[in-house]
Amino acid sequence: MDDFYAECDEHFGEIRGALIHLESAIDQRVPDSTTLLRLFRSFHSLKGIFGMAGLQVAETLAHRTEDYLRSLTGHQTVFSGDGFDALTGATERLEQIVVAHRQGQPPPDISALLDEIQKRIESPRAGASAPNGLSPSNGVQERVQEAQRHGLTIWHCLFEPSQALSEQGKNVNSARARAEALGEILHSAPKIETGGKILFEFVVAGPADPGDAAEWKQEGIALQPYVAPLAPPPTRSAPQRVAESAAPAFVAPSHIVRVDLTRLDELMRIMGDMVVHRARLEEISTRISTHLPTAEARSLQEINAAFGRELRNLRDGLMRVRLVSIGEIFQRLPFVVRDLARETGKKIRLAVSGQETEIDKYLVERLKDPLLHLVRNAVCHGLETLEERIAAGKSPEATITLRASTIGESVVIEVADDGRGMDERAIVGRARASGISVTDHPDAIHLLELISRPGFSTRDEADRGAGRGVGMAAVMNTVNEMGGEIILRTDPGKGVTFTLRLPLTLAIADALIIAAGGQRFAMPQSLVQEITTAEPAAIKQLERNEVMPWRNGVLPLIRLASLFGLTAESRREFPVLVIGTGLSAVGIVADRLLGQREIVVRSVNDPLLKVPAIAGATELGDGRAVLILDSNGLIQSARQHKDRREMKGANYG
Amino acid sequence: MAETLREADSYILFELAGTAYGVPSRDVQHMEMIEHITPVPNASPHVDGVVFSRGEVVPAVNLRLRFGFPKAESTLSSRLIIVRIGPRKVGLIVDAAREFRRIAADTIQPPHESITGLSGSYLAGIAKLGDRVVLLLNISEVINNGNEILSPAPERSLAETT
Repeated sequence: MDDFYAECDEHFGEIRGALIHLESAIDQRVPDSTTLLRLFRSFHSLKGIFGMAGLQVAETLAHRTEDYLRSLTGHQTVFSGDGFDALTGATERLEQIVVAHRQGQPPPDISALLDEIQKRIESPRAGASAPNGLSPSNGVQERVQEAQRHGLTIWHCLFEPSQALSEQGKNVNSARARAEALGEILHSAPKIETGGKILFEFVVAGPADPGDAAEWKQEGIALQPYVAPLAPPPTRSAPQRVAESAAPAFVAPSHIVRVDLTRLDELMRIMGDMVVHRARLEEISTRISTHLPTAEARSLQEINAAFGRELRNLRDGLMRVRLVSIGEIFQRLPFVVRDLARETGKKIRLAVSGQETEIDKYLVERLKDPLLHLVRNAVCHGLETLEERIAAGKSPEATITLRASTIGESVVIEVADDGRGMDERAIVGRARASGISVTDHPDAIHLLELISRPGFSTRDEADRGAGRGVGMAAVMNTVNEMGGEIILRTDPGKGVTFTLRLPLTLAIADALIIAAGGQRFAMPQSLVQEITTAEPAAIKQLERNEVMPWRNGVLPLIRLASLFGLTAESRREFPVLVIGTGLSAVGIVADRLLGQREIVVRSVNDPLLKVPAIAGATELGDGRAVLILDSNGLIQSARQHKDRREMKGANYG
Repeated sequence: MAETLREADSYILFELAGTAYGVPSRDVQHMEMIEHITPVPNASPHVDGVVFSRGEVVPAVNLRLRFGFPKAESTLSSRLIIVRIGPRKVGLIVDAAREFRRIAADTIQPPHESITGLSGSYLAGIAKLGDRVVLLLNISEVINNGNEILSPAPERSLAETT
């Protein structure tokens, strides 16, 4: 049954993708026929699998939607926004039905929606009664005439895909190639017949002799001289009818394997254990190599190194298997933005890039809600109303940018709007009203921290899009749990950008092992920008912050030992790990740098261990837990730590 | 509370500050000797830290501190009882644990009214095994992240139930 849901999901994904394309055709003359075909095919497949799963309600709805799509392809009707809504409505309802089915609940009612779609099919089906007629769009006739003037013969190729042909590797692409070999393709289009059969027609300008007709037939192509649409349609020869089968028009490529994620998790776990064992092997072989003859010691080290390399390759391979493109979740967002734009009366353009960026399947699943929330926030809080934008001399159409990219071992996702920027006054005001002491102009890190507090909202009334005050806290939580970080950038009058930086994969990461206050900690290397050292004398007190000179400015420092209430070793020099960039850079002061290791990340979810600066734990081969640091949490708890100290100071003063 | 006690359930009995306690054996995954516990900075005072147990990170709750007894150095007889409640896996540090027993439902009394307040919520019942008294714990209450629960002094609970 899980397969059924997975398959439904795939088709829904495909439909959403096609709908995005289709949206651009609203109110234009005729929607793009390839897109319609994609949609048609998906609804058709869905209808089939719904039928098999006994989901009659869904089957009926998919069938009706299919009819509607067919009526769209048959005619040169103007495709209206209402028509688009009917399609998105049907898709949403189908998804609801599947979800209800999964949860064992009764399906939602579809009768009103069915009537709605039926109304859109009302136009006469004249075109459908002439199944073999040509329906090339305008402009083709002129090209045909021009080719004829040049003495070329115009051929009409009709390709009919079938299971048998596809097994021989003959598909629409091979048919197109064949047609191209004949001459210039003047027109090509898919064609949907009554009954749902899909054909492809090509109009080709070529030589008078097209070659052996039998060869064309073998390719599944019926070749005929082209006849202008007004002429009576030529009848097709009988053999093509034989090839007709109940098989779907497209067969999914058979070299794709669908794997349950838990099986991959299990492999990853074994992989993680191997990484730990190899680390132990290395430790022990380093220790005993002094007692071995040089040659033996060297070959032991070589084997160990080779083992390590292969293990890393294996890890990379395993990791790649788990990667899926982030487009999976980006696809949903245009609909959200569309709905919200309509509700709020704002004009919004959504610019999406980097959909092909790959990220761990586990992370993608967990990213859905945070991204949805950030986009909603951008629409509801970030963007001004139409009037406000015009008054501010900005383009009435607002832009929300969604951008994904891979940088090293991290995936970076940006959600940006070109709205008014964060309302610093409102945030500070609301923070003070709830008893939090803040400066008049908090920096971006502080602002982010404030809006991420549970229950924080600058809205008085909760509306649908945003304003319940749980959102940012949840976003922050999720991102921290995934070992990632959020960076906020706000420019008054220009907009807000949230940058999410996440590890490519969760299970295994490179980390720096550091010691502080007699305890070992692991710091994910992807978060560390730079490692530098500091002598105690270089550390200065600036107001209540400890800072050290760094590049052209100063770097605020967080002493790990004192933050954790441990006693730091006294040393002549401290390693400083720089996390964050630019103005938000912070230096983490440790006692010693113990080395770099590949670690297996175990998440720490128990409520008893909800400590802000800890992202998880790992084991380095000796069975002892080593805590993994979380940079966002470190910065936050350092701030709270300082606040507490300040309050104490005030009491004494 | 009654539904947690069946006809004759089996319990793991352990010792803490000279008193016998019992936890339903169905909640117990396994027991371990206490080796290294990694302290977790800024965690609740009664959480000694984390341990790796069978590939998972498990918080180690010091039951002595949880119940308001003074902390004791761990000895050879100290044990970590790993319990699983729903999705959570938590280790309980106890002074000693060596007994597995079936306890008949009719030997169990509900906790006395006077201790059913804050401290009573984690007490599922009191069993009398001959002349021994065993306090049966409600594990999910013990491992919730509340503040330190007021411990019923064992003397008092004994005095009140006998």
